[in-house]
Amino acid sequence: MIYLDHAAATPVSEKVLKSMIPYLTETFFNPSSAYLPAKDAREAYEAAKNKIANFIGAKGNDLVITSGATEANALAFTAISSRIDRVAKMRQKSDSTPVKKPTLLVLETEHASVLENAKNYDFETIKVDKTGLIDLSDLKQKLTDNVELVSVSLANNELGTIQPLAEISAILKETRLSRLKRGITAQLLLHSDASQGLSLMDINVSRLGVDLLTLNSAKVCGPKGVGALYVGHDARLNPVIMGGGQERGLRSGTENVAGVVGFATALEAVHGHASATRKKYTALVENLKNELKKCKVEPVYLGNKNHRLANFLPLSFPGLDAERLIFKLEEKEVYVSTGSACSASKGEPSHVLRAIGLTDEEIAGSLRLTLGVLNNEENIKEAGRIICEVVNSEYERQKNV
Amino acid sequence: MSKTVYLGMSGGVDSSVSAVLLKEQGYKVVGVYMKNWSKDLPGMKCPWAEDLADAKRVATKLDIDFYVFDFEKAYKEKVVDYMLSEFKAGRTPNPDIMCNEEIKFKLFFEESIKRGADYIATGHYAKSEDGKLKLARDDNKDQTYFLYRISKDAVEKTIFPLADLKKPEVKQLAKEHSLSNAFKKESMGVCFVGDVGMKDFLREYIDLKPGEIRELETDKILGYHDGAVFYTIGQRHGLYVGGGLPYYVVKKDLKKNIVYISKNLNSEALWTKEIKLENIFLRDANDMPKDGKILVRLRHRAPLISATLSGATLFFDEEIKKVASGQSIVFYSGDICLGGGIVSK
Repeated sequence: MIYLDHAAATPVSEKVLKSMIPYLTETFFNPSSAYLPAKDAREAYEAAKNKIANFIGAKGNDLVITSGATEANALAFTAISSRIDRVAKMRQKSDSTPVKKPTLLVLETEHASVLENAKNYDFETIKVDKTGLIDLSDLKQKLTDNVELVSVSLANNELGTIQPLAEISAILKETRLSRLKRGITAQLLLHSDASQGLSLMDINVSRLGVDLLTLNSAKVCGPKGVGALYVGHDARLNPVIMGGGQERGLRSGTENVAGVVGFATALEAVHGHASATRKKYTALVENLKNELKKCKVEPVYLGNKNHRLANFLPLSFPGLDAERLIFKLEEKEVYVSTGSACSASKGEPSHVLRAIGLTDEEIAGSLRLTLGVLNNEENIKEAGRIICEVVNSEYERQKNV
Repeated sequence: MSKTVYLGMSGGVDSSVSAVLLKEQGYKVVGVYMKNWSKDLPGMKCPWAEDLADAKRVATKLDIDFYVFDFEKAYKEKVVDYMLSEFKAGRTPNPDIMCNEEIKFKLFFEESIKRGADYIATGHYAKSEDGKLKLARDDNKDQTYFLYRISKDAVEKTIFPLADLKKPEVKQLAKEHSLSNAFKKESMGVCFVGDVGMKDFLREYIDLKPGEIRELETDKILGYHDGAVFYTIGQRHGLYVGGGLPYYVVKKDLKKNIVYISKNLNSEALWTKEIKLENIFLRDANDMPKDGKILVRLRHRAPLISATLSGATLFFDEEIKKVASGQSIVFYSGDICLGGGIVSK
């Protein structure tokens, strides 16, 4: 098997698995139980949370552990509704002017977990350019006074395009200042889904200037079903899941001790190695591209080559049918995806590839190759050879039709 | 020049093996996935996207051309709306029969011929011979019950590659050709309802209306239901009454919204010696025995039993369990499917 779909899922490492097992077996206790052994579970949980938080330059208490990135995104957006409630309450006491409905801005190329959750609010989308980078002038234009939250992923899950979050954050701070000068107190928060790229980027919430940041264990060789939302001090959330009041009341439910420990171990393994990892995958991607030069028709590379996650190689063989390519490659045990797995399963063309203005032909022939821990020089070379073989025979087949 | 066959591919084992067989017989095979109407109900995902991927995977593997025909709109109008209006009228329709008549052997057939097909094919267990629709060799799987209303024109140009195969043989062939979906669970019933039951689907369209459940013999109220239209005569599930022998639905009073049930399997309300039909569709009047003595199938996979058709009424030698109105009864003579009719009120 040659696995080229690390943006979809990653294998849990031996080390991660080992770190988790004690909290599934002997230290299985509910961290909230009163007796002493349960304290071990509590301590391990808090320690793991601290490690995860440290990874992004935050404290354990700033995190809300969730069941994954989707839930974290849904929770992040409640920053808006909680604001409606608070303002409405305050207003009831003083005056009766109607509360202006706050708006959410999301990038048009966001993952379904952002776009679908955005539909619960008044929202607008920000445009991207042909490489998938945010159109900052469009952002500025849409930053009306009732915008309270802007959501832009750290890196796009189909193209790997890295967004200039610090720049976006600066624009928001400026806007907020100008609002205050005009006596408008509406909040203006920045949320980012950092599911992709945890192992490849130095992520620091202060440097990025985000108020809310979504983390995902499953893409960094941690267990699936574990995620976290960093919540900065300016953001007030409304819990989506109520119950025993865990996670400071923001996410009830018995703590997933083993999962969080596993996530922390996974992050530990990559902490401090981002630059070396980038170098490694930049070289491997380059190797793969060199191999693909040998195809009878070279692919068109998508996204932004200067601002792209080092392990991403989104491309298109215009005129070919990517689904056929996937099935042909699957027969040779090479696993790739087309667009994001989520949009592919709905049977509709990827909204991301549409947004960057690809033609129908380019979209139909698009593949997403994402490298990771299961790749090395050898299997990348082999993958390139097999892809060319399949692509050549598909172009040949087309000539005969 | 080899003949071109457009094959309906569902992603299941039957149509996949059909593709293999047609190819081996030397046809130029074109695979077609028919996209029918689907509605994503909350918490429920229609499996069609996965089915489409499975169908395409097989087509790719066999290196045949593959297209998607979009029949969503027609399916909604001809099959779903019909089904809903029948249920609302207190009847129990059979959407699969409608789907075959209106979609697969009409729209798919016509579109395929238009695009240059010499024949169409499906993975049904049935036989097309000399323009006649006949029983499949596998009498356990025979699907002519669902096909009795398809047009004569279509049958003449349809190949059923599984006509002479038994299901285990089909599975074996799938294995031999290492078709990835060889062991996929068979999809049951109406395609667009997915894994959720018919009642869950209907509730989205039909308002719940609470009413009484009474015992037929005593008229005693035994419980309450949330809508008489959801019940079918003869059905034994889903009654809000506890313990003991199972109860059967024996009568529905749609006006008063009362469902009558009985423990007595021999209840007169459940049995009859004659059934009135409407919308009778005869495939070829010449095949009809002059004395009206025929074999009938009361539901899919039910055994063939003798009956006499006189006018629009079927007479049985012995008492049979009643068939809900809206359901189809299909006629046979020897191995020929003569047609059938719909049980009237």
